[in-house]
Amino acid sequence: MRALIAATAGLVLAFALVLTITALGSPTGTTSPKPLLTTVPAHP
Amino acid sequence: MRRKTSLVLLALAVFFAALSPLLRHYAFPRLAKIPAGQYQDMVLEAKDATLLDYGTMKAKTVPRVTIVQTLKGNVEASEQVEKTAGKDVVVWDGLSYVVGPDGKMVSRIPERYIFDAHTQQPVHAPGEMVDGDPVKREGIEFKWPFLTEKRDYEYFDAQARVTAPIHYKGTQNFRGVEVYYFEQTIPWTKVPFPKALPVQGITPESVAKTGTTRWYTTVRKFWVEPLTGAPVYGEEIHREELRGGSLLGGREKVTAFAGHVKMREDYIAHTVDLVKSNRTLVLLMTSYLPWGFLGLGALLLSLSLYLEARGRRPGEAEPAKDAEPAPVTA
Repeated sequence: MRALIAATAGLVLAFALVLTITALGSPTGTTSPKPLLTTVPAHP
Repeated sequence: MRRKTSLVLLALAVFFAALSPLLRHYAFPRLAKIPAGQYQDMVLEAKDATLLDYGTMKAKTVPRVTIVQTLKGNVEASEQVEKTAGKDVVVWDGLSYVVGPDGKMVSRIPERYIFDAHTQQPVHAPGEMVDGDPVKREGIEFKWPFLTEKRDYEYFDAQARVTAPIHYKGTQNFRGVEVYYFEQTIPWTKVPFPKALPVQGITPESVAKTGTTRWYTTVRKFWVEPLTGAPVYGEEIHREELRGGSLLGGREKVTAFAGHVKMREDYIAHTVDLVKSNRTLVLLMTSYLPWGFLGLGALLLSLSLYLEARGRRPGEAEPAKDAEPAPVTA
């Protein structure tokens, strides 16, 4: 019984961690102030 | 104590074993996406190209034609589209700016490409356009999906405004990176004149009145890193002709542009470095961490079972139970 509880706790923790990370996602950022280029850049 | 440790190890073993497939099949598809605010530029060159001189209306060979391509993620526009699309969307405002050997503009084609940030499938929303003309893209453009497959894809051609298959032609090694090679051929197709022409006073409408039409064909080649879906190199064998009408002075056709367009060397090196570092991140999510966690889970489970087995060795005295108080007789 104790083993079953321990295994369930591990499983729940794994789901909780993954769901939290995916729910947080990644920041969208902001639009770059750099213009669309109309001259040939010297380097990348 | 040994029993408690084995239970903790068992919980950790299940935690890591479960984390392995969850990370690969649940978290990765949701976390891997193109950032909405990404900005990137690219320079391509066609050496010894043929270019039409609009002054004399004759084609001539020039040492170099340069194409500057910029893609700029429009975060505000993507948030607007996301409200109706109900998914993560990227809006790229792009500009293909072609420069002649004298540094003057040959053509400029703006476009807006809207797509799913995770799958790179096009999303249709107001504002989607090529050179000001509304379009409804099918298929991919500029970038392949994460975990690109060895198969043909549908690829949007912005010049012809058509979608056509781009064929998987094999796996190659490009500067130490394993890449999938794709090729698309667009046969001679009548295409609209760019809204901005290099000669002042000439507009697409005034050219249309002369009866002259613009035709285009290309062989498009991409070398794509399959984990990130990012092209590390690209080439195009591109030809444009003007055909018929009074503009050509009785000639049947004249070459407007012909050249073998290739990425500039410094941009190739930069792209390869960038893709290599992004590739490591994808590998971390799809391979290194899932397999590592699975191995760790197996190790912890073995350790837990070992401790449990040691705790139950035959012949070893059972843990002493609390002695019951002896009955007291009065």
